[in-house]
Amino acid sequence: MKRMDKREREIESGELSIWFFCGILMLAYGIVLVATGLVEFHHPPPNELLLPWLESLHPTLWWGLALTVFGGFYSTRFRPGRR
Amino acid sequence: MQAAAALFLLNQQLTKLAPVDLLILVLYFVLVVFIGFYAKGKANTSEDFFLAGREMTAWIAGLSFVSANLGSLELMGWAGAAYQYGILAAHWYWIGAIPAMLFLGIVMMPFYYISKTHSVPGYLQLRFGEGARAVSGVSFAVMTILMSGVNMYAMALVMKTVLGWNISFSIWVGAATVALYVMLGGLRSAIINEVLQFVLIWAGAAMIPILGLIEAGGWTKLKAQIAMNLGTGDYTHMWSTLGSFKDNPMGVHWTGIVFGLGFVISFGYWTTDFLVVQRVLSANNLRAAKMAPVIGAAFKMAVPFIVIVPGLLALAVLKNPDGSIMHLVPESMAAATGQHSYNEVLPLMLIRYCGPGLLGLGITALVAGFMSGMAGNVSAFSTVWTYDLYGAFINKKASDKHYVAMGRWSTVIGMLVSIGTAYLVMNAASIMDYVQALFSFFIAPLFGTVILGMLWKRATHAGGFWGLLTGTVASVSMFLWVQGQPSALRYIAMSPNAKPMAEDLYRALWSWIICVVVTVAVSLMTRPVPTEQLAGLVYGVTPIPHDGSVTLWQKPIFWAVVVIVIFFILNLIFW
Repeated sequence: MKRMDKREREIESGELSIWFFCGILMLAYGIVLVATGLVEFHHPPPNELLLPWLESLHPTLWWGLALTVFGGFYSTRFRPGRR
Repeated sequence: MQAAAALFLLNQQLTKLAPVDLLILVLYFVLVVFIGFYAKGKANTSEDFFLAGREMTAWIAGLSFVSANLGSLELMGWAGAAYQYGILAAHWYWIGAIPAMLFLGIVMMPFYYISKTHSVPGYLQLRFGEGARAVSGVSFAVMTILMSGVNMYAMALVMKTVLGWNISFSIWVGAATVALYVMLGGLRSAIINEVLQFVLIWAGAAMIPILGLIEAGGWTKLKAQIAMNLGTGDYTHMWSTLGSFKDNPMGVHWTGIVFGLGFVISFGYWTTDFLVVQRVLSANNLRAAKMAPVIGAAFKMAVPFIVIVPGLLALAVLKNPDGSIMHLVPESMAAATGQHSYNEVLPLMLIRYCGPGLLGLGITALVAGFMSGMAGNVSAFSTVWTYDLYGAFINKKASDKHYVAMGRWSTVIGMLVSIGTAYLVMNAASIMDYVQALFSFFIAPLFGTVILGMLWKRATHAGGFWGLLTGTVASVSMFLWVQGQPSALRYIAMSPNAKPMAEDLYRALWSWIICVVVTVAVSLMTRPVPTEQLAGLVYGVTPIPHDGSVTLWQKPIFWAVVVIVIFFILNLIFW
């Protein structure tokens, strides 16, 4: 059993893990959304003007932040070469 | 299935992308192409190319397994179904998936895995001989390539109608990208992209139910609002309205949902459709192969949150510019009146809640879903063509290198045929309905053949072949009967109140029963297969090796029980 777990870890944390691909893409998207969300603080998008309750929630910013944390964790945890 | 409805006819451009949205889309394409080149270095042998080297962990195989069925065609079709039929649509995600996925993992996977078959037709060859493999292989190859084309056209149509993009541009860019990364990396490339797509779908679509429930004031207020808007509470109950065909919006009966959907269609799709089973066959050991469908089932239970809830929310919150409730209509009416159709529900909700950035993420998730659907079909086609048709009937003794080359070429040729199909569908949209129906012809009888083959050692080669053929012919005949004479539905569904949704359920049930009866009858009349030839293929004559799990937490059966308990609780909550 120990051998199997070790093998699984090697595959998941190998040269470029599938989780690393997921992490790096979400990190990139998170950063883009955070930047967009900050801009939207002063320039709300058209859909938020139509739905005023939405404007105060700043969904782009908070979702961007969540993706940045998720992506950052996976990019670091499964970065290339890490064992 | 309902995915057929996802080929919708939007009649005006809904929105346009901001530069930040385009950036998000371009980032996805760049990563996908990079993955193709990266995976190429790991796809040298046929085992690498067609089964990703059989080295995927349970989590990766499990997410890929569930993601292969989470294409955009399904997402938009079922969100539209939720608007049209209410929460009943969630049956296709719960009883229509969870028990079958768990059954695959716990009961069937050991046989697929230890027989070391490369495909489901390959298993049929081992158990029932070349005839059954030929029927299954040819039908599967044709269907996957047609489905890939349907996905391609649907993506192009969504891009045209949501964003105003040229249809040919979308078809060729999508096809070229998918062909490139599947040809280079084979199944490994497809699996990486499917896992990526699963994460993307959640990242892109989760904001719709979250913000929608905030707007509606929570689940209880949403139910009350729907009941007020529609004048009935039937749209938010899963079981309490299924006592009669005429008591629910779908026009179905609980027997159809439990036996037709929950048993035959679901078990047929999740346990014998090679497109999804191939993902699990890539697992790196028996325990991972058993755990993968269990993990997939756990995630599958959550999918209604991003598919069914948006459809229900639209019933409560979607409004016209003048503040009145927006009424979506069937596609045929939408094309004539200029209203929005049921199947536009997901894009409409996306546009409602998502501004620049989030909108790009949602659109990218849809594109990823379409491309993943094409890649899944093409990679499965390439495997079945190379192993079960080319390698079995045309060139049996080629080198491993030759088969890998054939896999790559068949990917390219498969994509070209898919492009042809996409243009064919563009000129005759009804073809898509037939392509979807064709899938349902084979799934139910195939399940009858495979399950008898695995669990009943007396089933013979002739029994398997004739059962599969008769069940398929019966399914096609019932379909043509109802097409030619719609009133025939009352005989197939056994009720004059049955609506078209009931047809699929009962047609599947009847064709499965016919397949099983014929297989049993012919088997009993023919000579049994010697027991020694059944080792590794049939329950009772196959010693199942221990899967290596030691503690309770490592045992697939433990997690299967956890998942099934949650499944029952969810059904009771939304009874």
